[in-house]
Amino acid sequence: MIKRAHFLALGLLAAAVLSASTAHASGSAGRGMELSKPCQACHGADGNGVGDPQYPIIAGQYADYLAHSLKGYRSGERVNVIMQGFASTLSDQDIADLSAYFASQKSKLGDLSKR
Amino acid sequence: MRSITLATLLVLASAVPAVASAQATGDAAAGKLKAYTCTGCHGITGYRNVYPHYHVPRISGQNYQYLVTALNAYKTGQRKHPTMAAQAQSLTEQDIADIASYLAAPTSP
Repeated sequence: MIKRAHFLALGLLAAAVLSASTAHASGSAGRGMELSKPCQACHGADGNGVGDPQYPIIAGQYADYLAHSLKGYRSGERVNVIMQGFASTLSDQDIADLSAYFASQKSKLGDLSKR
Repeated sequence: MRSITLATLLVLASAVPAVASAQATGDAAAGKLKAYTCTGCHGITGYRNVYPHYHVPRISGQNYQYLVTALNAYKTGQRKHPTMAAQAQSLTEQDIADIASYLAAPTSP
């Protein structure tokens, strides 16, 4: 009886860990593209910008860094009036999807080892 | 009357280069040397921030003005990251302009 309960608990724990890790990692680039319309005026359709150097290139950036940034804007930890307005409307899933979309786009961004 | 026009022109002429140099980007060659420390994290493909856990962003090829804004935000503490704050606090306005110019410059093929 005790053994069975332990086994069950372990199973639940394993399931929880698995779902937590997938929720963290997975974003739908397709849904992200649909959500990305408001981003386009400043960041361009694919995240490569609109030629204004004040806005960062977000195409080809790491998805988890983009998600970290959006969550920072959403919580107010990172301060930017425009971004705060947009990010405050986003769910965790929206953020994962948007990050997956822009990360999957081609850009000239790279690590310094490539420079 | 004519001398006033000439004086106005002279004042304008001296103001134009000042504005131009304020907007101009920094010295990319100097920036390359100053950016050496950055490679410790930003030069390692796939390098991750420890906590919270995420990839250190790709900054090569990023836009100049955004880089200047980001470094200044770390410097003033508006943007929070212990390592970046320490780095940015050691930089002058010229250092930031030079580093941003180096990072934003097109890479040679």
